[in-house]
Amino acid sequence: MSTGYLHENRGIGIRHHQLILPSVVCSTHVARRIANGLDAITFAHQHGCGIIGGDVAGIDDFFSQLAAHPNVSSVLVVGLGCETIQSQELGAKLLETNKSTRYQIIQESGGVQGTVDSGIAAAKQLNADFPKNQVEIRNDQITVGIDNSNPKIDTTELTNALKAAGYKVEIVTDSHISIDNFSKLMELKAQVIISFPDENQPASGFPLIPVINIAGTGPLHQATSQDFDLTNTNSSQEILDLLAKVIAGQETKAEKSSVGEIRAPRIVRSV
Amino acid sequence: MDSPLKAFKRTDGRWGLRNHVLILPLHSALSTTARKIADDVSGCVALNHDWSGEVDNDLPRVTKTLAGSAANPNNHSVIFLTLGTDVELEIIKQAKAITKQTIIELSLPKLGSIQTLTEQATQEAIKLAKEAEAEARVPAPWSAIVLGLECGGSDALSGITANPALGVASDRLVELGATSVLGETTEILGAEHLLAARALDEETGKKIVAMVARYESSINYEGIDIRGAQPSRGNIEGGLSTLEEKSLGAAKKAGNAPLTGVLEFADVPAKPGLYFMDTPGHDIEQLAGFAAGHINVVVFTSGRGTPTGSPIMPVIKVSTNTPMYKAVTDFIDLDAGTIADGIETLEETGARIFDEIVAVANGQETKAEKNGHQEFALSRMYETVVPPLFS
Repeated sequence: MSTGYLHENRGIGIRHHQLILPSVVCSTHVARRIANGLDAITFAHQHGCGIIGGDVAGIDDFFSQLAAHPNVSSVLVVGLGCETIQSQELGAKLLETNKSTRYQIIQESGGVQGTVDSGIAAAKQLNADFPKNQVEIRNDQITVGIDNSNPKIDTTELTNALKAAGYKVEIVTDSHISIDNFSKLMELKAQVIISFPDENQPASGFPLIPVINIAGTGPLHQATSQDFDLTNTNSSQEILDLLAKVIAGQETKAEKSSVGEIRAPRIVRSV
Repeated sequence: MDSPLKAFKRTDGRWGLRNHVLILPLHSALSTTARKIADDVSGCVALNHDWSGEVDNDLPRVTKTLAGSAANPNNHSVIFLTLGTDVELEIIKQAKAITKQTIIELSLPKLGSIQTLTEQATQEAIKLAKEAEAEARVPAPWSAIVLGLECGGSDALSGITANPALGVASDRLVELGATSVLGETTEILGAEHLLAARALDEETGKKIVAMVARYESSINYEGIDIRGAQPSRGNIEGGLSTLEEKSLGAAKKAGNAPLTGVLEFADVPAKPGLYFMDTPGHDIEQLAGFAAGHINVVVFTSGRGTPTGSPIMPVIKVSTNTPMYKAVTDFIDLDAGTIADGIETLEETGARIFDEIVAVANGQETKAEKNGHQEFALSRMYETVVPPLFS
């Protein structure tokens, strides 16, 4: 039995991350300045405007999924004001599901400093209004995501061991690049990820989700072994032991070094 | 008019208007590390991206953008953070083929861990930033200026105030021997015939018309009518009615100078004059194309107001209307709403923009620089295949 955080309709998280969500590339820097003034998570991206076709709904949905992730404690949407993905609409939509949502618009907040100041104040207020609500969690309330980007790895034994321990398991093998599989696992609401990166790809992370990196036998992974939490010579039991510690709050190596960007899925060029 | 410019002379004859150390990650997993180093070491900038070494349709475009950004004359030096793969080495090779500035490659597998990479890169960055700081500006000719023309968040006044005033400044610079580049293919759609009529030769005129047609068909492939997506919602709220109206206003940024040439995305202009570059209207993707095309200063007009900048080029913001300027003065450098208010003539505002370009070229910080803006975006075509012109 471990302790997690009840995050309204987002569910139970194993981390308590406030998300400063820039709804457009133009607000990513202001979002970063807000996040730097707090202990919050944000990320650089290049979307939200100049998008057409399926990407309009696709990006809107991806941002909504990020905001609805169980590890998220509260969300401050930061928009510019004239973009395709309108932050007040996104904010209003997210607010319907989770009350711990606010939005801030640069063009209506008196400039960069005004938005940073009022954004930090709004985010602090969110933390005060929605304090940590710690609850005991069972393994069957945890979805473990497996990023199997390494075709040499057979995860059957690990999957069986995880299921035997009561965890829900989602395996994604869509891409040989972990960054894409992480986004998919985020949408599947994995609270924690075990990643087997392709042997030509480094250990990496996802800002909202702890990622346990497991090295393969190739030269890149051998050379960068210090960035991996475990190797594929470790037993399933050893992986499960570390998993339990990470769920209980121990930081993974990727969390410690804050590596990894978030990549949103796109289908059409920008206009 | 004698040039009052002072800039950084590069050994290959190009001119830098800034002298920063660029930290350039060649994989998404190294991106946050690059940002951390640039934030910690004064004089350094970084660009963030989500490219992860994938070899696909977009690889040549990504390679050209990253190599061109590294070779921009505003960089005193570049520190590449790499995994040491062949595609990364190709990017570094292409950058080295253009620039003779110091390029340092730090490979994660050689250094063993993100922590060691961070420490090593930070040490190198401190050393290079010190060298950059010690370098002096020297007198530079007008041709040192390679100006990028951009607009974003346009409104009904864009084509009446800020854009034509920028056109006045651009014309003066081109006449003095500088280079000026208009971008945003989306936003000359419907106005391409006017630019074609100003082409120095028939070939250039035909090229710009073909480029716009190629662009429109690349959007139409999905059954999307670009005229349905543009003008954007923000533009319509700002009073624009059609894409053609937006384009007629946008093209005014390029003044009345003859059109010297047409550039593919991230191409480098070969000699002074006015150019058009094929870029998306997406502000940040466009700025990346400009940076990769060695543009060293940008003027960005806006009706709605946007705070964005570039890691590589100083970006001067000009508002089209005074209420917006007053609302967000901390990220807009100049107001051209004065024209609509009857306070200034187009020529007077144009002269003010010209003076600001000169001051910024000589080292005055823009508001985007003061606020630390370093947005970056890779332009990707995804499944779209862009054919060569006249194929």
